[in-house]
Amino acid sequence: MNRSLAFLSVTKSFGKTLALDHFSVEVAEGELVSLLGPSGCGKSTALRVAAGFENPDSGDVMVGESSVLGSPANERGMGLVFQNYSLFPHLNVRENLEFGLRVRRSSAAVRRARVTELLELVRLSGLDDRLPHQLSGGQQQRVALARALAVEPRVLLLDEPLSALDATVRVEVRDEIRRIQRGSGIATLFVTHDQDEALAISDRVCVMRSGRVEQVGTPRAVYRYPATPFVARFVGRVNDLAVIVRGVGIVALRGSTSGFSVPQSGPSSGDARLLLRPEDVRVVGLSDDALARGRVEAVHFGGATTSVDVLLTPSNQTVRSTDATRNVRCEVGEEVGVVFDTERALLTREP
Amino acid sequence: MMSGRKLWWSVLVVVTVFYAIPMVAMTRFAFQRVPVIKLSWSNVFDKWTVAPIGETFADPNFRSSALLSIGLSVATAVLTVLLLVPTMALAHLRSPRVRRWIEVSAVLPFVVPAIALVVGFAGAFRGTAPLFIRNPYGMVPLLVITALPFTHRTIENGLSSIDLRTLVDASRSLGAGWNRTIWTVVAPNIRGSIATATFLAITVVLGEFTIASLLLKNTLPLYLAYAQGQNPQGAFAVGLVLTAISASLIGITNGIGRRSRR
Amino acid sequence: MAGLSKRQARPLVFLPYFAFLAVFLVWPALYVFRSAFERSGAPRSPMIEAVTGQYRGRFVYSLQLSFASAAIGVLVGSLVAIAVVQLDSIRGVRSALVGYSSVAANMGGIPLAFAFLAAFGMQGLATRLLREINVDLVGWGFKITDFWGIVLVYLYFQIPLMTLILVPALDGLRRTWHEAAQSLGASAPQYWRLVAFPILLPALLGGFLLLVSNSFAAYATAFALSSGSSRLVPVQIRFFLQGETITGKTNLGYAMAAWMVLITALLVVGFQALVRRSERWRR
Repeated sequence: MNRSLAFLSVTKSFGKTLALDHFSVEVAEGELVSLLGPSGCGKSTALRVAAGFENPDSGDVMVGESSVLGSPANERGMGLVFQNYSLFPHLNVRENLEFGLRVRRSSAAVRRARVTELLELVRLSGLDDRLPHQLSGGQQQRVALARALAVEPRVLLLDEPLSALDATVRVEVRDEIRRIQRGSGIATLFVTHDQDEALAISDRVCVMRSGRVEQVGTPRAVYRYPATPFVARFVGRVNDLAVIVRGVGIVALRGSTSGFSVPQSGPSSGDARLLLRPEDVRVVGLSDDALARGRVEAVHFGGATTSVDVLLTPSNQTVRSTDATRNVRCEVGEEVGVVFDTERALLTREP
Repeated sequence: MMSGRKLWWSVLVVVTVFYAIPMVAMTRFAFQRVPVIKLSWSNVFDKWTVAPIGETFADPNFRSSALLSIGLSVATAVLTVLLLVPTMALAHLRSPRVRRWIEVSAVLPFVVPAIALVVGFAGAFRGTAPLFIRNPYGMVPLLVITALPFTHRTIENGLSSIDLRTLVDASRSLGAGWNRTIWTVVAPNIRGSIATATFLAITVVLGEFTIASLLLKNTLPLYLAYAQGQNPQGAFAVGLVLTAISASLIGITNGIGRRSRR
Repeated sequence: MAGLSKRQARPLVFLPYFAFLAVFLVWPALYVFRSAFERSGAPRSPMIEAVTGQYRGRFVYSLQLSFASAAIGVLVGSLVAIAVVQLDSIRGVRSALVGYSSVAANMGGIPLAFAFLAAFGMQGLATRLLREINVDLVGWGFKITDFWGIVLVYLYFQIPLMTLILVPALDGLRRTWHEAAQSLGASAPQYWRLVAFPILLPALLGGFLLLVSNSFAAYATAFALSSGSSRLVPVQIRFFLQGETITGKTNLGYAMAAWMVLITALLVVGFQALVRRSERWRR
């Protein structure tokens, strides 16, 4: 696998704050890797180190076979798109797009051709005379993307490009980004705090926390097989249930006596928390075999899927079950039972 | 880039020295009874006294001019607030077009310099309403206009930063009339801006010379200009105090601005 | 006033404000222009006479002074603004300088003239101190009432005014634009030439125009420094129109005032247009 961009044990502090702690991740050619994490986890810092706006305290950043740390920011050949204020406000779309080419002293003919090509790529032909403030947020980001691609960078760096957009526009633009990225085959690093985005468009997701990598894997792997409780809680929705560990691989819900089996890793006694995805919880009738019983507190209709919140007795905690809408047959107030599929559950003492 | 920083620091230092020298010189002249020619490193701390202020205060001319200036400041501030707040609030609520006109009109005073304004005023009113020229308080409208660009912007900022419509609707729905709404509901909510506008108006009037000079009204700046000949130390001392007062007023308005932005 | 619920407010309610402006601003201005065109026996229209011959020299002098203090003011004020932004990380620098600038920009008139007389006059403190290091201002023929002396005094409020204008403009220069330019390969000089300078240009030009009009209209400082005998236009107008003395040249005085208004109007309109354009970008 050709690696286009690699972080090798990069460490960076700002005063007393450790932003990156031996951070290592690779992006292959043609791959889109997301850096996903809460604010302050270091994802933007990593991107800025790659771009050359920050210098790491130790470690290396390589593009292809050579390190880029020796080059200044304007010689690294990386495309950059920001959360907002990407475009130069005093230049119209065409002038923004050809900026990189002007800097390289390309001829007017070359610039004109490339601008036309780029506008077609992001499907904004005909808007070349507009000024940035005359464009919508989504259009601005598409132009920003095109501008970054204009000089054929080796690596594309996207710093939360969708965070400032309205919810509906966000999905459109993110699909555009993915389409264009796939088409051009450029290695891309995508920084975001929104796990829906990361899961939707990445080839691999790198979940970060406090400057370190919690887990790297395909969206499916990170979602279905979270390596740590943090990943389980941060990516997707998860039920966080209080349980008592009865023995290795056996737990019982707080307040209940009946035990059930769980994966054998994790604490072997005492109080703990069980992290269980909503789709691994099934609501059954009172007469069926069930692990616990309770009353339906709420039913959330989500179109294709529906979630049911059940308040369990005597445990007195709420568990959420998500299923395809046509399978859900209960109503608020109904007494029901729940069944857990604990194969992918995580047992942990971390609160 | 450390050398870069040093460069900018030296810029600031040079400019600060430039700003300080005249103030220091004025202070020294006003309060030290040593003529510059005789000044040397040995007597730099001698004969400092605040007596010049006392001497000036004893002058009845000074007292009357100070009183007039204070009176004019207050009158200008009051008239400004009375004129601007209801009009601008109404424009904000009902007519964006008029609001725009008011905005444009508030810049007009910049176009007509004080000297042109006062000679036109004197000529125009001499025949038709000479009371405005005879009575020193006839200057107040001109002073309101001189301060208008600044006071307008201040009130504009204030009105934009509150939810005017909600306040007015709530007040009206509870039965309050327009006047009561403006003065007991809206005004307290923009009191920072009103205070700032008042201070700006006072600062402008205290320093205003052109209009008073041409209308031969004895305001404080005029008194200072003429006292320069008779009691220079006293005049400079009062000039310093005047500057300090204006500076404090502006300092307070900056503080108001900063607090409201939080 | 119940009728003011949902409909447009009747124009009548805005009457007090606009009437006030009409009576105390527009009418005096119109009077100036009307008198400026009254010939009353003189061979030429006062408007023409005001800008020819010896009086033309006054306008030229005033404008030269204005341009000089504006040019230097823009230069130094910009440097101060850049310094404030560059040293932003140091606590207190920005608030101290912006704070003092708002005070100094409004300073003027009599106290300022006093201060400079006390500092750079013949008996000035700074004059005296400079003599200690062998800089003899008096020997050089420097007088605070001469052209460059007045420019120096005017700089006291021109520099802070420019600082106040440019600091917000510099704040508006987003870091992302610099970084985007760098990622596209621009060197520092290229960034300044292609991005930063064009974006700041409206503020710089607008500031220049504002400073020119500010200086052009200044009266009190000039008056105090020269004790009423200045060659500057505003003082000259006073000479023609003061009090009750009939100098026989009142229309000339009005004409000069009318020219002042025209020139200032040109400058202010230019300033507004520039400000409007840059606001459009910044949104």
